[in-house]
Order: sequence, then structure tokens, then C-alpha cells
Amino acid sequence: MNLISGIPVPYYLSLAGIMFTIGMFGVLLRRNAVVIFMSVELMLNAVNLVFITFSKSTAQVGGEVIVFFVMAIAAAEAAIGLAIVIAIHRQKKTVHVDEMNLLKW
Amino acid sequence: MDIDLNQVSFIFFLVFAGIVVGASLAVILHKNPVVSAASLVLAFFGLAGVYAIMNAIFIATMQVLVYAGAIMVLVIFVVMLLSLREETHLEIWKNPLKQAMIVLFVLVFLGIIISAVNYSSDIPKLPPQNGTSQPDYAYNLGQKEGLPLVAKGNTATVGAATFLEYLLPFELVSVLLLAAVIGAVVIAKRDKLRNL
Repeated sequence: MNLISGIPVPYYLSLAGIMFTIGMFGVLLRRNAVVIFMSVELMLNAVNLVFITFSKSTAQVGGEVIVFFVMAIAAAEAAIGLAIVIAIHRQKKTVHVDEMNLLKW
Repeated sequence: MDIDLNQVSFIFFLVFAGIVVGASLAVILHKNPVVSAASLVLAFFGLAGVYAIMNAIFIATMQVLVYAGAIMVLVIFVVMLLSLREETHLEIWKNPLKQAMIVLFVLVFLGIIISAVNYSSDIPKLPPQNGTSQPDYAYNLGQKEGLPLVAKGNTATVGAATFLEYLLPFELVSVLLLAAVIGAVVIAKRDKLRNL
């Protein structure tokens, strides 16, 4: 059993899996666009944890570099996503995703 | 399972993992978006603690700076700007069939995770790419005056790999950030011609 700082690798992966699932349920269950956005951030963080875990357990530094890039892309996503939320709120006076049905046939 | 339960790092891992899971649940279950955002900050801090336990110091610092700092300020700013009220209902809890499905899913999921923890096999340990086989990895920069030049320590190693091996992705990320900033300004600004 591989250990990172004395803790087996599957423990970290389980934490990441639980976190990703919580984020997925947040996206599916919540109807507020900002809370859905926060759940997406949770899922991104779970994936970051998997990257770090395998980077450490295989002693390859590449995973940590990719986590750094994921953080930069998450920041870009936050800026764009919240700008879209503000634009939609200005048009429709709501951030409730069930009421955004303009493209629904 | 041959782990020492009294080990300090294991206790810290359990504490931080508990913080992460609890705060994540609070994010998706609490009705008030402001409380959700505050819980998300707590979850990010807990995850930074897990990274610190794994000895990924650079990423732990970046987690606090970028996620718990910059991104969450943006989220809370938008929550305040839109003055979001509490959601009146989480419809999923009204339907007993959907409740049963969620409970079943959670039980199956936890069962899979517990069995994965108990019966997982070893991940093959690859030889270190460019460095030595130290527990905290190192990066071989090359030779200087006949002596090997090695980046040691977490931050130095990650920095060397970023700027030597991943230079093109790094530059592409900077272009992407520029595009995102311009795009955010264009999307969020008021359209003066149409909204007069």
C-alpha cells in the first residue's frame, strides 16, 4: 500500500470521490445559478486533489504543475461565469435556472 | 491495513477531511447562498490543510491565495450585488421516491468507496522523471561547472518544472486569462445602445 505522509493513497482518493459527488449533487439539485457555480468549484477541487495524490504517490512533479494551471483556468471560469450571471440577472431579474428557458423549444 | 491510528498526520488528515466533507455538504444543503459561500471558503481551507499534510506546500499556498482568496471574493461580491434571497424550496425533498433514490445512491457509493479503500492494489511507483528518488521530489536542472544542478524543495521543484517543461502551456494560460478578463468586461458591462 502506497503511503503519502503515512496515510494510504485510497484515503485521499476517497475524499476526492466524496467531494466530487457532493459537487455533482449540488449541480443537479440546486436551482440557484451561483450555488451551481460553487458546486462546480467543488468538483474542480476534487479533481485537483486526485492530481496531487497521484503526483505524490508516483513522485512525478507534473501533477502539481497541472493543478496550478487548473487553478488559473478556474479563476478565468469564475470571472466569465459570474459575468454571465450578472448579465442574465440584468435581463430577467432572476438567477433561478428553471426560469432561464429561452432556448427551450 | 497497516496504518498507525495514533500517528499525528493521520489525525490531522481525519480532521481536515471531516472539515472538507462537512463544509461541502453545507454548501449544497444550506438554503442561503451567503452561508453556502462561507462554507465553501471553509472547504477550501480544509483542502489546503490536506495539501499541506501531503507536503505539497506550494499548492496549499496557492489554494488559500487563489481559491479561498480571489475566487471566493468574486463569488461573495456577486452574491451581495444580486442580493440573493433564500431559496424557498428544495423540491427534491418533497418526493419520497427521489428521497429513496438518493439514500440508495449514497449507500452504494459509500460501499464502493469502503471496498476500494480495503481492497485496492498498489500503484506502481515510477522512477522520478528528472530528479532523484527523494521523498520530496527534486528537479535536475542540468550541469554547472561540472556539478549537477538540482532544484530541491517543493516550490523550487514545481517552479522549475513549470518554466522548463510546461512553458508553452504556461504562456497559453496567460493568454487565456487575458481573454477571460476582456470577455468578462464585455459580458458584464451595460449595453448603452440598447438600454437607453
